[in-house]
Amino acid sequence: MSLLTMILKMSEGLGKTCAIFFLTLWFSLPLGMIVALLRMSKNKIISSVIRFFITVLRGTPLMLQLLAVTYGPYYLFHANVSRNKLIPVVIAFSINYAAYFAEIYRGGIESIPKGQYEAATVLGYSRFQTFMRIVLPQVIKRIMPSVTNEVVTLVKDTSMAFTVSYQEMFTIGKQIANSQTSFTPFIVAGVFYYLFNFIVDRVMGRIEKRLNYYS
Amino acid sequence: MSAITENKAPGSVPILEIRGLRKAFDRVPVLRDISFTVNTGNVVTIIGPSGSGKSTLLRCASFLENANDGDILYDGQYAMKGGVYAPKKELNRFRTLFGMVFQNFNLFPHYSVLKNICEPPTLRGCDREEARERASELLKKMGLEGKENAYPCQLSGGQQQRVAIARALALNPEILYFDEPTSALDPELTGEVLKVIRQLAEDHMTMVVVTHEMSFAHAVSHQVIFMDGGYIMEEGSPEQIFENPQQERTKRFLSNYKK
Repeated sequence: MSLLTMILKMSEGLGKTCAIFFLTLWFSLPLGMIVALLRMSKNKIISSVIRFFITVLRGTPLMLQLLAVTYGPYYLFHANVSRNKLIPVVIAFSINYAAYFAEIYRGGIESIPKGQYEAATVLGYSRFQTFMRIVLPQVIKRIMPSVTNEVVTLVKDTSMAFTVSYQEMFTIGKQIANSQTSFTPFIVAGVFYYLFNFIVDRVMGRIEKRLNYYS
Repeated sequence: MSAITENKAPGSVPILEIRGLRKAFDRVPVLRDISFTVNTGNVVTIIGPSGSGKSTLLRCASFLENANDGDILYDGQYAMKGGVYAPKKELNRFRTLFGMVFQNFNLFPHYSVLKNICEPPTLRGCDREEARERASELLKKMGLEGKENAYPCQLSGGQQQRVAIARALALNPEILYFDEPTSALDPELTGEVLKVIRQLAEDHMTMVVVTHEMSFAHAVSHQVIFMDGGYIMEEGSPEQIFENPQQERTKRFLSNYKK
């Protein structure tokens, strides 16, 4: 198989790689905020339960979580494993990344000085207005570097979908590598991921720059 | 037109009354049986050593801390009675009566100077253009003309504090609280902030100022309160307190400031 054929075959999986990437961000970024707010809840039961789930999601391999979400329903309820594996893959990724984002958000929210809340209260901002107008914009700026880190990791983590044989770029590459007994597909995959992250880096850098209007 | 100019003449109408106020942090008493009254148009300064409860007193009056016992009245109406606060809705109405200036300014760093000043009145239903005009007028008064589009981080501490004062004034408060407004500033910047507060006093703005600036307190106040250990040790006109203090503790405290 020529190099060009390999590249073309693997490119067919890039759409699915992108699907995992964008759908995961789409769901996990807001979900992480909900989790963070519940984690900081004054209700001890809620915050402890959430804390437990966060430790589980961060303390066990993403690969295991992918297998659990994809095949768990079959073993538990003898439900059919869904043909479209994108759904379980995105669910597993989103939950996992939400746990990481939640901790980043929490760190950001807790770093906002108490005085900001006090000033807002005295000036008549409601709790919701204080969060949306005063706290959140400052949090977003503060956490951008950490978020960028996670996003870069996510690009590479999409390759984990091979464990459930979802036909994204890396899975296809691995299949070619097996059938052709060649290492070349892995090099191609590496180049693809590098280029993907090169773009991610540029985009995130631009966002960070736009948030630099104050310090 | 503005709160600064339309304020009622100094009189004997109490805007704030505090009676028997008590507050403890983890059973450590910080305020013990505090009572005093602030009349409209008057400037009251609260002096005393660090940890005497001065700031806590202001924070209780502005509902940033919950007191444990006592009464707080605004305009003769109970915001707290016998340690029980009025319902939330009532408290929000009382909140429109006072403004607060903090030691660390607490400006919103992601907002321009103009937005810092304009957003609170706009959220309370004030017309956008009106709020904008009022903000410019206040900035002029604070000697900050043309700083509308600057961000707090681009200003000196003294300028930031003057923006904070303008922000508080933009809501037309009946009474303005200052919690050590110059403690984070060097002497030069302290001067420019005190000058602005002095100007407000001349316009008969009702103010309660917690401060360590004794000559300022002497010059500007109608009433001086000396606190120590959670008690009001002595209270009176600046002449009484600074020139003829009765209590031993007051004398000892003020001796550190004699030139």
